[in-house]
Amino acid sequence: MESGSDKGTGGSSAMDDYETLISTTDADLLKRSWRNEKASPEILQFESSLVQRSREQIQLMEETVEEFMNNGEDPLTVSLYQMDIDRTMFLLRSYLRIRLQKIEKFMFHIQKTAELWTRLSRQEQKFAKRSIEDTKQHLDESVLSKLPDRYKSHLKQSVISEEDDMVMEPKLDAFVICRSRKFLGGLPVDDRKSARHVRGGYLCTSLQVDKTTS
Amino acid sequence: MYGRKAYQLVKEFTNSESGQLTGFNDDLFAQVIEDCKEHVLKLQSLLRKMQEEGSDNQTTKNADHFGALMHHLALVRNKRCLMAYVYNRAEVVQNLGWTIDLVLPLEIEEKLSISEKEYFKSHSKTLKSYMSDLDIDLAVDMVPPKDPYIKVRVLEEIGNVVLSDQSANLTRYAILFLRRTDAEQYISQGKMEELTG
Repeated sequence: MESGSDKGTGGSSAMDDYETLISTTDADLLKRSWRNEKASPEILQFESSLVQRSREQIQLMEETVEEFMNNGEDPLTVSLYQMDIDRTMFLLRSYLRIRLQKIEKFMFHIQKTAELWTRLSRQEQKFAKRSIEDTKQHLDESVLSKLPDRYKSHLKQSVISEEDDMVMEPKLDAFVICRSRKFLGGLPVDDRKSARHVRGGYLCTSLQVDKTTS
Repeated sequence: MYGRKAYQLVKEFTNSESGQLTGFNDDLFAQVIEDCKEHVLKLQSLLRKMQEEGSDNQTTKNADHFGALMHHLALVRNKRCLMAYVYNRAEVVQNLGWTIDLVLPLEIEEKLSISEKEYFKSHSKTLKSYMSDLDIDLAVDMVPPKDPYIKVRVLEEIGNVVLSDQSANLTRYAILFLRRTDAEQYISQGKMEELTG
């Protein structure tokens, strides 16, 4: 829910410029993607080039650290570099992990929703496909094969159901509390009222908001 | 009462501590499946009866129609309960895949059904194959790192190993400072514990 890279919003004060500047390093971008992924119930677009860049930078850093160690650089300096690598590694791992856990939880929903499916990376799609196969087989073997004919689907309660009413979906209309980082003006939240986004003001509203501010 | 047994099954799962599994209740599970079969027999016989009487399922709202509906709804409810039981257990099994290598400890394994054991294996493999595709180990680094080094106590004899920055003799009960990334694999295997404070 950071808004540092917002472009085109008028009134760019010195503070905003500063925020834009510090939030454009890849580490910050990764942190923001990680935070957004962690906070949102549905899976977001995979940041493939960011992940790629981060991994390259980590590798570069690791090489630097190794070089430092060989050159007998001050252990404190080395340890600081190492700590930085560890933190970035954690962000990266955690980011990938959260995504996989979401895929595990909502695999059937993601599979049948084309928009969500395209948000996955190639490897994630492979992971999802295999997970779906595994889970389907497990469900078939444990429950569905033992049920009467018209009740064997893992997506529908019975053949009478018109929609897939057995598929878990993320809850998108839950209320969240968020804080706007800068003045955004009035934003329509739902049909009836619009919320005032004042810098630092707290707001309790449904999740649609974080899409506009993230 | 219809659906009572299925309810007990789900209740049993929710009563267990979250993240923990109790033994797979084959007995109750089979009873619910029996319930389902009974429902479908009654449902079919009611539908046949209605057909013979020439009444249309859509328009006639007589006792038979609602009887059939009850059996259908009971079936659907039973199915949902069975699926909830198996699916929620499967989620716990999925989580095991993150922390445990391919071999399950005996005390967990005996609580799983045959299909669940298979599921654990195949899902762990899926997870492993994702990690090797990306060449990144996601099973370490579960908590945000504070310090690159942590204090650990060795719980099981491990012997001489080469770690990323040193080679260490990991004898039992030794207390050492290790790189967190090195120690984590041993901690997750239960061979080491982190000393805090």
